[in-house]
Amino acid sequence: MRLSEKNSVLRIAHLNAGRTLELTRPALKGPVIDLTVPVKTTIRGISIPREVRRLYGPLAVVMIWTALSLAGMLGPRVFPSPWEVVTAAIDLIEKGVLQQHLVTSLGRVFAGLIPGLLLGLALAVIAGTLTRFEDSIDSIMQILKAIPNFTIVPLLIIWMGINEAPKVTLIVLSVCVPIYINTYSAIRNVDSRLIESAYTLGLGRWQRVWHIILPGSLPGFLVGLRISLTNAWLALVFAETINAKQGLGALMSDARTWWQLDIMVLVITIYAVLGLSSYAFVRLLERHFLVWRRGYLGD
Amino acid sequence: MTAFAPTLAVQSEGVRRSFQGREVLDGLNIDIAPGEFVALLGRSGSGKSTYLRALAGLDREIEGTLRVAELRAVVFQDARLVPWKRVLANVLLGLSGSDTRERALHVLEEVGLSKLANAWPATLSGGESQRVALARALVRRPDLLLMDEPFGALDALTRLKMHELLRELCSKYQPAVLLVTHDVDEAIILADRILVLTDGTISLDLSVDVPTPRRRSDTRVSALRTRLLTELGVKDQVG
Repeated sequence: MRLSEKNSVLRIAHLNAGRTLELTRPALKGPVIDLTVPVKTTIRGISIPREVRRLYGPLAVVMIWTALSLAGMLGPRVFPSPWEVVTAAIDLIEKGVLQQHLVTSLGRVFAGLIPGLLLGLALAVIAGTLTRFEDSIDSIMQILKAIPNFTIVPLLIIWMGINEAPKVTLIVLSVCVPIYINTYSAIRNVDSRLIESAYTLGLGRWQRVWHIILPGSLPGFLVGLRISLTNAWLALVFAETINAKQGLGALMSDARTWWQLDIMVLVITIYAVLGLSSYAFVRLLERHFLVWRRGYLGD
Repeated sequence: MTAFAPTLAVQSEGVRRSFQGREVLDGLNIDIAPGEFVALLGRSGSGKSTYLRALAGLDREIEGTLRVAELRAVVFQDARLVPWKRVLANVLLGLSGSDTRERALHVLEEVGLSKLANAWPATLSGGESQRVALARALVRRPDLLLMDEPFGALDALTRLKMHELLRELCSKYQPAVLLVTHDVDEAIILADRILVLTDGTISLDLSVDVPTPRRRSDTRVSALRTRLLTELGVKDQVG
């Protein structure tokens, strides 16, 4: 026994006989770690909700921005201060201009978002469940994914004119592609054993789509939705800066023409808020619809 | 009971299935009477799951004659509960009708899970999941219950309890059962008839003429076990 020197000797009192019994046990080769869960200490017993904590980052940016402006490190010709931007916003709201632009833009986004979502979802379900359409739909969508949306804008203008149609179409395209791509791949990843067992339970094709395939691909759809919302806003900016009298993009391009830095930063801030809220909205949907998942949530 | 002659729950003649030239089922002839509990034993790769999948209608590339009762339900080794539906919704999946909800709750009670009707499948233990799967099958009042190693992933204690439950529920609902298993004891304890599948054909067809409840210590049971193990090519060391 090579280990015998290291082995600890346990002495156990033998109650009846009053003798001690010597037992040899091997020594541990490594140290002992403590897995006792420490008592949680929250400040004054308040735990801050996750959605509030998510604002810490953006708030820090605003604070640094304010600090730099106060220190005079950002000149008004280079980067306006937060209060200049707020003043510009109040001014535009009082004139009733900002609301109008915002409503126009939101209207366009929804006009493109809803049909884009439905189209992407429908194509994904058809390609995902009906093999005879799968290849043709999928290759078309992959081509659309590869073509930058913005390159087809001139064509859209030639075909549709300079009214709402090309703008909304651009948004539809930029929404439907990521919805399709993510939902389709999620459908392909739905556990085939569940589809089999649904079949043995007597569910028909469309019942299988409704009860198994659609909910099973929901995580992928929601990932697509996140990307789609971002894309929708990006496409909107682009569509509106080209030719529009109304909308955030129009406001932006006017500001650019007249060198109104405060309005430019204001519009950027509005895009940031819209982007963050869309993201929060999808997270809300995820929390509501994906409660059944016990996925890894991070440390 | 109707006066008509009962048709068979399963009638298969010369059933063949090959995968890439390898004959997995090589002219199988199996009949199962209504209400009969048949265990299908075989070593892994002997084709027992292939046959069960054929009976479930999941394999449409078989040759030969195969007639099965239309009202059938399957319990797989993995419970295959739909993760985004709560337990009750899983039991109700694909059912419609006014009294189905009550029936589902009743069956959940029979498998001892009425308290978990509202639980998500991800929170269930292996044994609980399998009981839900059993409830989901029985609520359909199947003429034929197909089970593919349903207790294979469960621990030994849970498995024993499941045997008891299954026997109880089968005597109540009286479906014809095909239980695919590699567990000889499970087959002996549960089945009326045991088939051994070797290389795609039935090599042994035994009626179990031991009254229930069957005990392992019963000499007829241990004789049966030795015989089946020998057929499967294993020496019986414990019995």
